[in-house]
Amino acid sequence: MRSVLAILLLLSPAAFSQAPRVVALPSQSPLVNFRFVFLTGAASDPATQPGLASLTAAMLAEGGSAKLAYREILDAMFPMATSVSYQVDKEMTTFWAVTHVDNLDAFYALFRSMLLEPGWRQDDLKRLRDDAINALRVNLRGNNDEELGKEVLYSRLFAGHPYMHHNLGTVSSLEKLTVRDLQGFYKTGYTQANLIIGLAGGYPPEFLARVRKDFASLPKGKPAASRARPAPAPVQGLHLEMIEKNTRSVAISFGFPLTVKRGDPDFVPLLVMQSWLGQHRSSGGRLYDRIREARGLNYGDYAYIEHFPNGMFRFEPSPNVARARQIFQIWIRPLEPPTAHFGLRLALYELDRLLKTGLSEEEFQRTRSFLATYVNLLTKTKQAELGYAIDSLYYRIPGSYNQYLKDGLAKLTRDDVNRAIRKHLQTSNMQMVVVASGCQELSKRLLAGAVSPMKYNAAKPEDILREDKIVEAWNIPLQAANVRITPVEKVFE
Amino acid sequence: MAAAAAAPQKMFPYPYQQHDFNNGLRLITVPTDFPNVVSLYIVVATGSRNEVELGKTGFAHFFEHMMFRGTKEYPPDKYNDVIKKAGASFNAYTSDDLTAYHTTFSKPDLETILRMEADRFQNLSYSEDVFKTEALAVLGEYNKNSASPGMKISEQMRGLAFQQHTYRHTTMGFLKDIQDMPNQYAYSKMFFDRYYRPEYTTIIVAGDVNNDATRAMVEKHWGAWKRGSYNAPIPKEPAQDGPRQAHIDWPSPTLPWTVVAFRAAAYSDDAKDSAALDLLSFLAFSENSPLYRKLVLEDQKVDLLSAGNADHVDPYLFTVHSRVKKAADMDSVREQILSTLAGFKDTLVSAEELDKVKRHVRYSFALGMDNSEALAGVLASYVALRRTPETINRVYDLYSQITPEDIRNAARKYFVESGRTTVTLTGVSK
Repeated sequence: MRSVLAILLLLSPAAFSQAPRVVALPSQSPLVNFRFVFLTGAASDPATQPGLASLTAAMLAEGGSAKLAYREILDAMFPMATSVSYQVDKEMTTFWAVTHVDNLDAFYALFRSMLLEPGWRQDDLKRLRDDAINALRVNLRGNNDEELGKEVLYSRLFAGHPYMHHNLGTVSSLEKLTVRDLQGFYKTGYTQANLIIGLAGGYPPEFLARVRKDFASLPKGKPAASRARPAPAPVQGLHLEMIEKNTRSVAISFGFPLTVKRGDPDFVPLLVMQSWLGQHRSSGGRLYDRIREARGLNYGDYAYIEHFPNGMFRFEPSPNVARARQIFQIWIRPLEPPTAHFGLRLALYELDRLLKTGLSEEEFQRTRSFLATYVNLLTKTKQAELGYAIDSLYYRIPGSYNQYLKDGLAKLTRDDVNRAIRKHLQTSNMQMVVVASGCQELSKRLLAGAVSPMKYNAAKPEDILREDKIVEAWNIPLQAANVRITPVEKVFE
Repeated sequence: MAAAAAAPQKMFPYPYQQHDFNNGLRLITVPTDFPNVVSLYIVVATGSRNEVELGKTGFAHFFEHMMFRGTKEYPPDKYNDVIKKAGASFNAYTSDDLTAYHTTFSKPDLETILRMEADRFQNLSYSEDVFKTEALAVLGEYNKNSASPGMKISEQMRGLAFQQHTYRHTTMGFLKDIQDMPNQYAYSKMFFDRYYRPEYTTIIVAGDVNNDATRAMVEKHWGAWKRGSYNAPIPKEPAQDGPRQAHIDWPSPTLPWTVVAFRAAAYSDDAKDSAALDLLSFLAFSENSPLYRKLVLEDQKVDLLSAGNADHVDPYLFTVHSRVKKAADMDSVREQILSTLAGFKDTLVSAEELDKVKRHVRYSFALGMDNSEALAGVLASYVALRRTPETINRVYDLYSQITPEDIRNAARKYFVESGRTTVTLTGVSK
C-alpha cells in the first residue's frame, strides 16, 4: 500500500511549489529512481559557444567531483551496478540513475557530490571534449545517416534561432571551450529555480527532505524563460538540403515548423493525426502501410509532431526533451538509390492526400481508441513516469500526461482532427533533407521532375499500380536556387 | 546487502509456474505486482544458428517479418486493428539462437491477443507476391544497418572465427542471400513447417495475470497445434588451428576499431567455464578495470572499450571491442588487450576484486527488473538457452561459486593464440 503522503504527491506532482520543485513517486519497490532535470540546455548556449550546456552536463555526469576523481567514482559505483546518465536538449538537462535501496546512501553520496561539487579537472574535459567531437564526426556524420538527416532538418528550420545548433555544439566551438566557460554556465544554469527533483521507488520517508536540503545549496536563481522562444522564420517554398557522403542508400527527412506544442488546444488532435499517419516504429500507420508494407521500398516510415531523438534505437520517446517550439516531420527510412525519387514523391503524395481527405470516422475512432490505451505503455517504467510528470510541469499540464491525453481524446471529434490537419499542415513550404551518395545526380532528377516509374519484383494489386501512375509524376516544385549540396565533412563542423 | 549476499538466494525473485502441454509447447506464467499491464513473449528456439543450408542465411530473421503478413482469419489489417484497439505495443527480434515475438498490453486483452497469436503461429498464410515485397523490407533493414561499421565488423569476425558452424554468418545474413530472398518462397514454407512448432516454442506471460486462467486460455487456443519432427543438423565447429586476422577498409571517415576474439564456451548453468568467462570480462574490461582506466581515462587513446562473453547455445566468442582515437595506436592497444588477458593466466585475481564483480552482476540483474516487459524480455533470452526461469537462479548461483582459481583456469583454457581472431577497421582519411 502506498502511504497517504504518496497518494497526495501522485495526485499533485508539483506538491512543493517553492523551488526546487519535486516530483515524488514513493513505492515499495526495492529500486530507487533518480531523475533530476534542470530547465536549461542547448538553447541557453551563448551564440558563440554552441555545445557549452552539453559539455557542462558531461563534466558532471562523466567527470570527477571535487573530492573524487572520475575513476574513483566508477570504482565506487561498479559493485552497485549503477551509473549516472545524462541528456541535454534545448530546454532541459536531465541526470538520471537507478540504485538498489541497499545502496541508497552510498549511491546518493556520489550523485550529490557529482551534481553539487563538480571537480572541473582538465583531463576530464579533454576526454569529454574528444567524446563530443567524435559523437558529431563519427557517430552522427560517419555512422548514422538517418539521425544526421533529422538533425540537419532541425538546424535548417531553426536557422538563426536559439534551437539552430546541434545539442552537442560544433567541432570548432567544442575545441575552444574552457573549464572557466563550463563553470560559468554551471553557475547561471544550475539553480534551484531551474531544478525539478524526481524521485521514485522505495526510499525512506525522510530521504526526500534530505535531498531538498542538500540541493538548497545551489544558487536560488530566477525561473528560466524557456517557454518563451520566438517562432523560427517561416519556410518559403520548398527547400532541399543534400548531404553528400559515401553511403549505400538514401535517407530522407522533411518537415516544417509547427506552432502547436503539448498542452495547446490542437495538440491532441494532431497527435491523432501523427498516430494515424505514422505511429513511430509501428506497422499500421498510413506511411508505413503504403511505402513499406504495400511496396517494400524500405524498413519503415513515420510522422512526428514532437522531437523524438534516436528513434532508430528506441520504441518509446525519451521524456524531458520538452521544447517551446516543435516541428512537423516525416522520416523515410533509407531507400535503395533507384527508388529514392519515387519514395520521396510517395510520401509527399500521402501528405497531400491527408490534407485533402482527412481521416474517416472509422480511422479516427480506431486511432483514438489506440492512443487512449497505448498511453499507459509510455509510462511503464518509473523513469518514464517521472519524466512525463516533469514534462507536464514544463508544459503546465495539470495532472499526469496520461490523464491529459485521455481527457483530451474523450472529447475529441473527427472534425477537430481534420480541422487541425487543415490548419497546421501543408505541402508548399517545407524543408527536405537527403543524405546520399551522388547528390548532384539526384538533385538534377528532382529538379527536372522527370517521371520515376517503379519496377517491382512481384505482381501488385491494380489500385497500387494506378496510384503509382500518379505518384511517379508527382510534382515537387523545387527551384534550383533552393537546393544546396553540402559535403558531410562540413556538417556541424 | 540483500541482493548481493554471497549466500545463494533466488536471483529470479518472482514465483512462476511452468507448464508443458501434450504437444510440447511450454507456458511460463509470472504474476508480478506491476498493475494492469501484461507482457507476452513467444520464444521460438530458432535463430540464425538454424540456417544450415547454403544460400539461406538470414532466413530466421526474414521469417520473423513474414509472421506479420497474416492469416485467413486475421489478415494484416485485422491484426493491426486488434492491436490498435488494445493499445498494444508489439514487435519481434531474431538472434543467433532465437526468434521472439513480444506484445505488451492491458490485462483485459490477454485472451484476445493469445487467440490471435495462436492463429498466426498455426495458420500463417501469405502469397508469393507479398513474400517478395517483404524481402525488400529486409533489404531496407540491411541498408539502414549498413551506415555503421558495427555490422561489417561482425560479418568479418564471424566469417573468420567459424568455418563450419552457422554462427559464421550474422542474423541479418549475407547480402547476396538477402538479395536472393524474393526467390525463396517455397523454402519459406518449409522453414515454417520445420520450426514453427510447439516443441520449439515457449510462451511467457508476465504481469498482472492469474496462473490458472492463463493456462486455460493457452490450452484452448494453442492446444491443437501439431508437434513437428525436424532437428536441424547444426555443424560442429572444429577447434581453431591458429590465429586469424582480417582488416576492413571502411569507405568513409571513421575512427579505427581493433576487435579481438577468442573461441569460448557455450552457455551453461552447471559447468563453470562460461560463468568464469562472464566474470572475467568485467574484471578485465569494465569501467573500473585497470585497462579501462589506462586506455580510456588516463592515456585517452581509446574512447570505447567493452568485452563480453555473449550467452549462446553452442560455443561462441569472447570478444573485446576497442575504438581507438588514432590509427597509430592500434597495435599498442591490441598488445595491451592481449597482455591483460594473458595476465589472468599467471596471476590470481584478488578475492576482493572478484567479489565486486559478483555484486555488480547481481545488482545489475536486479536493477533490470523494473517492469513486466523488461522482466519478460530478460526471461526470453534465458528461455532460448534452457527453457526455464530456473536457469537464471542456477547460473547466478554458479557465479557466486566462481573462485580466483576458476578465473585462472578459464583464462588458461580459452585465451590461447590458436583460438584467437582479430579484426581491425580503418576509415579513409578526410
